[in-house]
Amino acid sequence: MVDRRTFLAGTAAAGLAALAGCSGPLRPTVKVAVPWSGTELEAFRAVLRGLEPLDYRTVPVPLGDDVATVFGQHPANRPDVVLVPQPGLVDVNRGQLASLPEPANWPYGDLWHPMLVRDGRLYGIPFKITHKSVVWYRRSVLEQCGLSEPRLWSEWLEVNESLASCGIAPLAVAGADGWAVTDFFENVLAGYAPDAYRMLSSGSASLHEPPQVRTALARLGEMWAADGALYGGVAGSLTRQFADAVVQVFVHRRAAMVVAPDFAELVIREFVDDTSDVGVFLFPAIDDAGLAPATRPLVVGGDVAVVVSKDDTANAHDLVNRLAATNAPDRWITEFGGFLAANQDARPPYSEQLCGLASDIRQADERGAGNVQFDLSDRLGAIGGSGGLGRALQDFLERVGGRGAGVDVDREAARVVDELAGMEG
Amino acid sequence: MALLANGLRIEVVGREITGRPVPGKPRRSYGPYLRGLPALALMSVLLVPAAFTTVQAFRSDSGIWGNFVAVFQDQDALRAFGKSLIWVGVALAVVVAGFVVALASRRVPRVWRVLSPLVIFPFGVAVLVSGAAFRLMFDPTPERGTVTALVEFFFGGSPQWLGPQLFWVVLISAFAWTWLGYAASLFRAGLDAIPDDLPRTVKAEGVRGWRRLWTVELPLLRTIIGVVTLTLVVAAVRLFDLVLIGVPPSMHDDAEVLSLFWWRSPSNDGRRAALALLLFAAVALVAVVGVRGLRRSWALPDRISTDSGAGTVAPKRSALALAVAVLIGLLWALPALVLVATALHDPTSAGLYGWWRPAGIGLESLSAVLAAGLGQALLVTLLIAVLATVLVVIVGAVTAHLLAWGGLPQWLGRAALTGFAIMAVIPVQMYADPLRSVLSDVWLGASPLSLGIVHAAAGLPFAVLLLRAAFAAVPPSLIAEAVHGQATQGWAIAQVSRQCWPALVAVAVMEFVLVWNDFIVRFLIGGAGSTPQSLVLWGEARQFATSAGPVAAAAVLSSVLPVLLLLATWSTVVRGLTVGSAP
Repeated sequence: MVDRRTFLAGTAAAGLAALAGCSGPLRPTVKVAVPWSGTELEAFRAVLRGLEPLDYRTVPVPLGDDVATVFGQHPANRPDVVLVPQPGLVDVNRGQLASLPEPANWPYGDLWHPMLVRDGRLYGIPFKITHKSVVWYRRSVLEQCGLSEPRLWSEWLEVNESLASCGIAPLAVAGADGWAVTDFFENVLAGYAPDAYRMLSSGSASLHEPPQVRTALARLGEMWAADGALYGGVAGSLTRQFADAVVQVFVHRRAAMVVAPDFAELVIREFVDDTSDVGVFLFPAIDDAGLAPATRPLVVGGDVAVVVSKDDTANAHDLVNRLAATNAPDRWITEFGGFLAANQDARPPYSEQLCGLASDIRQADERGAGNVQFDLSDRLGAIGGSGGLGRALQDFLERVGGRGAGVDVDREAARVVDELAGMEG
Repeated sequence: MALLANGLRIEVVGREITGRPVPGKPRRSYGPYLRGLPALALMSVLLVPAAFTTVQAFRSDSGIWGNFVAVFQDQDALRAFGKSLIWVGVALAVVVAGFVVALASRRVPRVWRVLSPLVIFPFGVAVLVSGAAFRLMFDPTPERGTVTALVEFFFGGSPQWLGPQLFWVVLISAFAWTWLGYAASLFRAGLDAIPDDLPRTVKAEGVRGWRRLWTVELPLLRTIIGVVTLTLVVAAVRLFDLVLIGVPPSMHDDAEVLSLFWWRSPSNDGRRAALALLLFAAVALVAVVGVRGLRRSWALPDRISTDSGAGTVAPKRSALALAVAVLIGLLWALPALVLVATALHDPTSAGLYGWWRPAGIGLESLSAVLAAGLGQALLVTLLIAVLATVLVVIVGAVTAHLLAWGGLPQWLGRAALTGFAIMAVIPVQMYADPLRSVLSDVWLGASPLSLGIVHAAAGLPFAVLLLRAAFAAVPPSLIAEAVHGQATQGWAIAQVSRQCWPALVAVAVMEFVLVWNDFIVRFLIGGAGSTPQSLVLWGEARQFATSAGPVAAAAVLSSVLPVLLLLATWSTVVRGLTVGSAP
């Protein structure tokens, strides 16, 4: 019979060990920091389960928007693998990353190489790529009003006008999420002035400097200011988040289309019963920009798997290698959707819409690396985030949305540029 | 000893000591001061980072006041100040409303007995949860939002509740829902403790209505008014979680109160430290004023007598009061009903349609959120809360006994009281940045142990104030032997604690509930990877409207324990909170 003192001392010791956060597992753990939450996190867990059996336990750590904070932490507390949502962070933090062996055939195309390789060493393996120049729409609505998918910006403006006169709100804008309005603007800028976009992307100009930024903003304002163009008006658009916008187009059937990246398919698969009405068209080229021929913008983002350098990274390297396999994300693609593999050798069972998007990226990359642009917000630093450019665009939406002829779009665009200049100055 | 003289027998008769023993001057040992060391050690966890922040606030490129000048010249900062001031007004309105409710509740005693758990339980619910509930209710989509659907049904069109013009309705409703019950309960306890004959005497002398209220009840309730106003005003100035979750991120600009403005300021900036210091100064001012008011007080009797003997006039039944009471009960139960009903739908139906649709009822949301790690998060939270509560009760009792009976010089006692009052309201912003950088550099990190200690340090001042008031009200004969050195101080503390057990229970329950429901400390200080339940809820809420199912499920699961605990012990907690302090 254990006497009381020994029992209490034992309990206290066990309690202290638990309190200090010791985990005494029998298998080693690999902590994977991911920017996903909700359904995407579930999908990633399914991917990890699909990699089993493993010699170690994988623990996803959802960090949301704070993934960058991982690199400021004490080494013992850092996760082992990080899925970095902004590829620019890999280069900035490469001092804390372990270098990875470069795959023999480099199946990721030309667009990733400059950002992930430095001094001949590879610091990250791309896992997921996001196609951001996509507009999702309800096929039945366009058929009903006798319209077809717009290929040019002017056509799109006309389609919106017809829809509004047909009695259907054309656009559901997700104004509550800064990144959604930023993506919209970046598409317009990349289509209207690809050179300016490239200048901003490489860091040789600040956001408020190129004059094309102001004209691109004015173009965007034209679309937003059209009478009845925004479902829910300004107040509705400013409080609507991305997933809600998708749901209101396809389930509640209140609007006709939404500008959303490819991972809108996740939301659609979760909430929409009958997906035969779901259509997709690529973001139109801007035809009156004086560019001949007018080229469609192609803005992409992605998630890169990196290994944090620590004493023992063997398991982490193993996990990253397994994630780099062509069939690793298959469970995400088949069960959840909304995933485009960065590995261009992969031919996963995409849905019809995503198949088109994947081949679009591949073809553009084959034509030349300059045809594919990475998301600007990553390259612009602090101002590119939702606090800077996102906030300015939300203010722009509030001032311009749905006002019709009663607003001077050029002047409002100039105000936005001044606001951006003030943020950077 | 007797003396006989001229047939007169003179005896010396002993008399029981009355009044508080006055410590004799020569007896100034160091024992008492040693007992103040645990409190000092625990408070230094917060005081040292706060000192760092203060130093940083005064360090700038343009002289000592450079940062403050920059803050006052910033239009956004001034707007944030203004909004915080408006919220102070809201808090005062809630205090007044609570008093009115307490007055009216005396007319409907039976209904009040049923109503009071409904009105009190929001206090046990985390601010994050109440913000989530109200954002769900005010969802602008008519298919989903309760209020939107009702307004559309009756008026044929509903405004955008979460939009730039009306989001404040959502926030103020959530704030009032949480705090009104607390205020009303405490006021009701105070009103009940006024001896019956006093108002009757005054009434017989012809003083009625408002004058009676002004001359009799209000002065007697000064302590409680002080406590309630202090708590509510501090809560209003430090508003953070509610704004963070109650409105979409695009509205954070418009809803920006001071603490939110601080959060959005770039870190490593002297101005951020200056903002924290200004926030601290504002609440400290309120605290000092409140403590001064608390010193002149009416000592309430220990037991609240509910004698309804002959001679007590039955309260007038009022149909109006009954109707209002029922309405209030329904209103108060609605957010909880919305949360529970939404949690009991599967994620797809909850994200698309409102809780009133029978289709889609199931437990999938609950299982989804448990699979996302909520179960372990709840255990971690339990660990943190228990650790913090135990630390606060033990260190608080020792320190309170020292302040009440330890024989400290009077100036030191008063200074300590004021110090604790100020520390009780210190905002997280004063110590968050330095603590976070320290914790992320140390191998222990933001583990349950370190977070528990931080929470304990934050909760200690309030506990000390409360316990000291309770201990000082104890009759001195109880511990006369300890004071005169014939028994150990430990025995004295045990005796006093046994006598004042309602206050100890009140402190323990309040600390547990507050730490369990905390969000801001873990959000600002806990680093990546520490996952108490509030952070899991916050993670689920990123795409709010379509994740209504998991969000509601997480909210419900994390509220069960504190609400049950609070409801089970509420009468004891009220007794503990309203014990008077002898001057």
